[in-house]
Amino acid sequence: MLIRRYDLKLKSPIKIRIFKENSFWDLAWKRFKRKKLGLIGLSLVLMITVMGIFAPLLALYDPNDQSALIYGPGSYAPPSLAHPLGTDRFGFDVYSRILYGARTALIVGILTAILSSIIGIMIGAIAGFLGGQTDEILMRFTEAFMLVPSFVVILFLVRIFNILSPKTFLGQIPLLNLWIIIFVLAVFDWPPIARVARSQFLKLKDQEFVEAARCLGASNWRIIFNHVLPNALPPIAVLSALEVGNAILSEAMISFLGFGDPHVISWGQMLTFAAQDMQVAPWVVIAPGVFIFLMILGSNLLAESLSDALNPRLKE
Amino acid sequence: MKPLLRYITRRILFFIPLFIGVTALTFFMVNAIGDPVEMMLAEVPGVSQRQIEMVKKFFGTDLPIALRYFKWLANLLHLDLGVSIYKGKPVLNLLSTYGAQTLKIQLASLAISLILSIFLGVTAAVNQNTKKDTAIMSLSLLCRSIPGFWLGLILILVFSNWLMFFPSYGALSSKEYLFGSRFLDELWHMVLPTLMLIFFDLPAFTLLMRSSMVDVLREDYILAARASGLGKKTVIWKHALKNAIAPVIAYASYTFGVMIASSPVTETVFTWPGVGFLFVDAITNLDYPIIMGVILILVVSVFIASLVADILYVIIDPRIKLE
Repeated sequence: MLIRRYDLKLKSPIKIRIFKENSFWDLAWKRFKRKKLGLIGLSLVLMITVMGIFAPLLALYDPNDQSALIYGPGSYAPPSLAHPLGTDRFGFDVYSRILYGARTALIVGILTAILSSIIGIMIGAIAGFLGGQTDEILMRFTEAFMLVPSFVVILFLVRIFNILSPKTFLGQIPLLNLWIIIFVLAVFDWPPIARVARSQFLKLKDQEFVEAARCLGASNWRIIFNHVLPNALPPIAVLSALEVGNAILSEAMISFLGFGDPHVISWGQMLTFAAQDMQVAPWVVIAPGVFIFLMILGSNLLAESLSDALNPRLKE
Repeated sequence: MKPLLRYITRRILFFIPLFIGVTALTFFMVNAIGDPVEMMLAEVPGVSQRQIEMVKKFFGTDLPIALRYFKWLANLLHLDLGVSIYKGKPVLNLLSTYGAQTLKIQLASLAISLILSIFLGVTAAVNQNTKKDTAIMSLSLLCRSIPGFWLGLILILVFSNWLMFFPSYGALSSKEYLFGSRFLDELWHMVLPTLMLIFFDLPAFTLLMRSSMVDVLREDYILAARASGLGKKTVIWKHALKNAIAPVIAYASYTFGVMIASSPVTETVFTWPGVGFLFVDAITNLDYPIIMGVILILVVSVFIASLVADILYVIIDPRIKLE
């Protein structure tokens, strides 16, 4: 199954068979396709991505449109044709805000995953590649970070930065609070990635291709980035996919507790007000939560089947 | 027992600089924002400068930051954590009353989750790759993806608003106790928050229990025990479980240590008067004595929890050696 066969009909009387080897990613995709759960996860994530990207096209109203208060059914309207998911206390259309909320969720999830992967890979690569004392110090540092129940600290840091940074030059940046949340989440979520990156680098650094590169005079940085890193990526990719879901959940909880960015439409923030209005308008509670759930479920399923697809030997 | 003692001493020695680092950092960051007393009084109309100075003197915020931090450390030695600026009560008293409430729901959830997870995890492991196993595994994975705070809201919606079985907020009725009994009333209020925490703890414990049990069942001594004629139940529940449960117990003790981590969200959803609720309140108002108190508990309990988890490993499984 590993080899795809091409029969080429040439003009010469001799039949030549060319065997084309499949690349690693081709094989991974093949294995990935076989798992139903992985495809469900992928389609959930894709669905929310489409929702986010095409939000202006799909939305029925502007997310900040309060016209329902005057011309429409008013606030706390139950789901109807005009407002498929009802309206909330301010007369906002819940369906339109859910679509725009997908944008925030995706930005937070993807950027945090990228940032924390970069930090994790840097630290893990240096620790695993250099070894010795550097490795010892960096790994102690990583362990200390892992022990901290980060959510409490994140909450505290987000609040502190929200007050401090507008006074400095950072105050000019639009949506500053959102960037702060992404930054703080990334700073606390890199340790698992660093540990996996380190173990990968430990395993790969003594292989022949690294020795070959070194013989050709490649520098340490060149070996790390051009030779070892591409081979170390698969298990890191799994953790990054998980991180997308984690970050979205954390952002939702931060916003839910009232420390999010007031200028951003976020599912967590929608739930803050919804929680207070639950007795009058239960539909406002259900919709944002369902989408947070679907997004996290999607990223968890995706990560689970990615790890099966990328490490075929890991599971029997 | 001597190596154990040496191990604990070494861990404590490592902990002291970490402790001072974390608390100092928190202290300076909270105070970098501005004087908490001035911020509180800025909202009150008609306060003279002299009155502000007096209040500042009372809370000791007129001194330089470094000096105040050392004062905080010195007071800590005789268990004085200062006075809350907004609530006007000693922080230690606040932490113990609020902490007791957090402990109540967290312990209940931990105990229930642990017992259920042993049962579920073992069932899944024994029936590996059957329908039972798949059902338990996929349910656990599904529950892990549900955002906990939203689940709490749904629980309130269904059980409190629609069915009216349980109260939706607080730890105690203000007017009349349920059936006139204070104990029953407390239990009644605990149900929903505990249920929400169980949804958070149980899947993690079950998955861990299953994977640990699967590993143990593959060992040769299990085969040997079966071959020597012991019944399947005896082997599973007596021989295998004893070895498989170590990581679960260690993880549970760690979860117990970091319970403050999950408390802000749970307690905000249910307006439960616990440490997490206190903390969210304190960081909204920048009530720094309380923030310091909570961070202090957090750091110390994480340290103790990880230490206890390590020691438990050694006690449960004597083959593991402390480094």
